[in-house]
Amino acid sequence: MKKNFVTDINKIKFEVYTEVARMAFAGELDAHKDEIPYNIIPGRTPIYRCCVYKEREIIRERVQLAMGRTVRPGSAGSKNIVQVIEAACEGCPINRFNVTNNCQMCLAKRCLGACNFGAIRFEGGHAVIDHKKCKECGRCAQACPYNAIADLMRPCKRSCPVDAITMDEDNIVVINEEKCINCGQCVVNCPFGALSDKSFMVDVIKMIKNGARVYAMPAPAIEAQFGPDVTVGMIREALIKLGFTDMYEVSLGADFVSKHEGEELIEHYEAGEKMTTSCCPAFVSMIKKHYPAALKYMSSTVSPMQATARLIKAMDPEAVCVFIGPCMAKKAEVIDSITFEAADYAMTFEELASMFEAMDIDPADCTEELQQGSRYGKQYSISGGVTAAVLQTFKEAKKDVDLKVHTCNGAAECKKALMLLKSGRLPEDFVEGMVCEGGCVNGPAMLYKDRTFMKERNQLINSADERGVLENVARYDDLKVDMTRTFQ
Amino acid sequence: MTITICIGSSCHLKGSRSVIGRMDTLLTTHNLKDRVTLNGSFCMDDCANGVCVTIDEDHFSVSPETVDAFFEKEVLGRLNA
Repeated sequence: MKKNFVTDINKIKFEVYTEVARMAFAGELDAHKDEIPYNIIPGRTPIYRCCVYKEREIIRERVQLAMGRTVRPGSAGSKNIVQVIEAACEGCPINRFNVTNNCQMCLAKRCLGACNFGAIRFEGGHAVIDHKKCKECGRCAQACPYNAIADLMRPCKRSCPVDAITMDEDNIVVINEEKCINCGQCVVNCPFGALSDKSFMVDVIKMIKNGARVYAMPAPAIEAQFGPDVTVGMIREALIKLGFTDMYEVSLGADFVSKHEGEELIEHYEAGEKMTTSCCPAFVSMIKKHYPAALKYMSSTVSPMQATARLIKAMDPEAVCVFIGPCMAKKAEVIDSITFEAADYAMTFEELASMFEAMDIDPADCTEELQQGSRYGKQYSISGGVTAAVLQTFKEAKKDVDLKVHTCNGAAECKKALMLLKSGRLPEDFVEGMVCEGGCVNGPAMLYKDRTFMKERNQLINSADERGVLENVARYDDLKVDMTRTFQ
Repeated sequence: MTITICIGSSCHLKGSRSVIGRMDTLLTTHNLKDRVTLNGSFCMDDCANGVCVTIDEDHFSVSPETVDAFFEKEVLGRLNA
């Protein structure tokens, strides 16, 4: 398989997962895991860091996460999916605003006038910020006509939508787990790769090796992830080669969610109540942790992952169901929803790519054809896709519902809508929340999102047949699967 | 109270899913769902003693056969203490 890594961080992560997967499949992980840092960082010449010893320590910490462990001894109680790789954190400069060489030593000195805290002084005509006085309001930077004052907020902190990033006394990043929604934005945005996600990959491999009936459930964002022409049928064939019993597209579960959520929405609407979606786990976590007053508006329909797992378990009660997607928060959803009798594990596309590599399987060599989800289910992975699918069920049922919808594309829009919702000032009736901008196709564990990706993906989806959502769900009517979530 | 149950592969094979199911049923019949949260966990690194269960900070070894006794002693015992 051709591999274009977004950055070297993704390449290193891939190499670690691949080594771990190879050893896990061979049953020699526990005996040989300490060799992985030496296999990946051989010799004595460093490539990425100051020395090979630091590079190897980073690999060792990554191996721990790949095995589902925490990095530090004694931190096993940490429930967070996203974890800090301490050795990789460079403790970026903590002072947020700094005057650069662009300072023209002008007469107007608007920075001085803009600062309400007396933090600006001049040395040899050059503006300097006194960081003891600076409150990081940013007015000086806005006031400078030369843009000479740089805003250097740490990328991890800047990327976090819920203010869950802090630092310890050595400026090493610390995650506030009470606030963290495991969206994975810091993982993507740290330029040193100092944050990563814990993995269930080894558990899944062990279940496969033990002869369990393990079913893969790839998220709809998988279209074109393993090559521009790689269809879900080819993915299924490759997954079965890997040892999975079978595969069901999560877009199939998504069709069930569209139907169930549509019926629920009409009830809410007729009762004069608003409703939000519940399929994005980071959005659900954002509501629970940051806007609990809005929880009563959340749909009681399970997520497409859980819907697909329930469907599989209705057909095979022995099934072990593994979600595979672009999302880190899904792993937290699995942990938080153990009583749902649904998904058993969640993995990412990154981990799956490494499992294929470890076993020398390339989905591009496969030929099978398959379609389980409707086009609407397949488009759950883009912003606006869930709303479109729910509205489609009304159209198919010839129901004339005149409700207003609000699509939140990304965390900032989610926060704004939830703020309005909890204070009763949101004008729309239905809120779709997706924490990743653009939807799941821009998720933190996507392998590939080049400029041509969306085009390739849409080509694949447009080659699927045009079955209706309700028609697709009706095929499984005799299973009578309940799609209501139980609240904890 | 938070009860955490390991869902790693070893505990899974030893029946963690049936421990979860039984525990959830017991919580429902005792009307304790709003007082006790059931949570999953990655491997707790004590596979020999699975199914690994923690209540707050304390570790226990539970099996599908012992879950009722465990519930009686540790869950109800602590809640009524």
